Amino acid sequence: MIVTVTPNPSVDVTYWVDRLKIGKETQEEYLTRATDSSISAGGKGINISIFLARMGLENIAMGFVGGYTGHVVLRALRDEGVTTNFVWTGSGETRTNLTVLEHGHEHVPILIDGPGVAVAESEMNRFMRRYRRMLKVAEWVVLAGSLPPQANLAFYHELTELAKQAGAKVAVSAGASCLTHCLPAAPNIIKPDIREHLSFEWMKLRTREEIISAGKRIVQGGVEMMIVSHEVIGDIVITPDSIWEISARVQTTQFRNLVGADDALLGGVIYQIYNGAGIEQALRFGLAAGILSAESPEKVCMDIGQIEHEMANVSLKRI
Amino acid sequence: MKVGEIMTRDLTSVEKDISVKELIFILDNAEMSNMPIVDEEGKLIAFISAKDVIKAALPGYFEMLHSASFIPDMNQFAKKLGQIADEPVEKHMHTDVICVEVDDDDLQAADLIIRKNLKSLPVVDVERRLVGVVRRIDLLHHLL
Repeated sequence: MIVTVTPNPSVDVTYWVDRLKIGKETQEEYLTRATDSSISAGGKGINISIFLARMGLENIAMGFVGGYTGHVVLRALRDEGVTTNFVWTGSGETRTNLTVLEHGHEHVPILIDGPGVAVAESEMNRFMRRYRRMLKVAEWVVLAGSLPPQANLAFYHELTELAKQAGAKVAVSAGASCLTHCLPAAPNIIKPDIREHLSFEWMKLRTREEIISAGKRIVQGGVEMMIVSHEVIGDIVITPDSIWEISARVQTTQFRNLVGADDALLGGVIYQIYNGAGIEQALRFGLAAGILSAESPEKVCMDIGQIEHEMANVSLKRI
Repeated sequence: MKVGEIMTRDLTSVEKDISVKELIFILDNAEMSNMPIVDEEGKLIAFISAKDVIKAALPGYFEMLHSASFIPDMNQFAKKLGQIADEPVEKHMHTDVICVEVDDDDLQAADLIIRKNLKSLPVVDVERRLVGVVRRIDLLHHLL
């Protein structure tokens, strides 16, 4: 069983517009009418859960939800066939994240993410009891996304330690500050969030060389795989034995919705490894899933056949 | 159809040592009228409903009355509810819990829900771990 944890989920609202004008441009109030819109459950772990469910893998999604939007998240997950095990918070609504995609410029979306709601100590304790229970059936745990406001940055560290003690493998996809705290627990896979300023305490991750250098240091500490999306259509993957560059032969202008593409990539890698595939197959499948998700208006790609077909466009180079 | 195909895949549940106040909070937010109670292994051990809490908070003589109209006002009820708010749910739960297994037929779940007048029914696996719930609406939704 795969268990995902999304501590700060969201309702993702996406608007497609022909032309977005903002007040600064027009010096007056301006109404932009969307040509289309969608609402979905969001947050990195939730996106991965939905991706895995669409690939036919049963999984359990955990985290915190609150208020009316909390119900929207749970309903969307259950409709996808994901089992839900969320703790209700009393401090407010699950956040809403907004994406605006302008026609012809979908590869540069406008993103506004809500901060989320703080979690009370009693709610955190309730979550930890449930998490320990879920570890009795978990083979993989995916910890993904930002933490709720005021949460302890060592949260993922504690969850990783508990999962490893229980014999589960752990993947963490988060911002650098959260990951830095988590590294001493040596998750099996880490994926830094490229949307945030990429730097670990001791090193910036701006160039290919800096990423490789930091990755080598990280895998020495026990992490088995670090995946960094260096360019939009390419990733650098560092393992204790090898360094890989994976890329896809696509134009970024083909992208229709980048939200969730990164999560489809990690979901694809985990899906393959969980099913016993080797690293090359897992990376090819993961990038193909990410690319197809980016090319689709939907957040994550649904079709395993399409992903397998797309793998032919992914090149993998050992460096 | 198997129960596993029609159930709501939700593991919302509580432990027997949580307070009645916490239970009410979760029932309210999750919009549930009853709650499975599990042990630290996730195995179903009991069940408690909002109705059980109401019964526990009613005055002792209520059972002897034919109608609630004999109760002067809600103050006594509120006072008693306040008294039991910090008690563990263990004190008011049912251990003779009715449930179905994930591979049971949907007809069996429907039969139990109708005969026992239940709003929902916990679903467990072969090791008695909670894996979901079947609600009345799940049956209706999948029969259409």
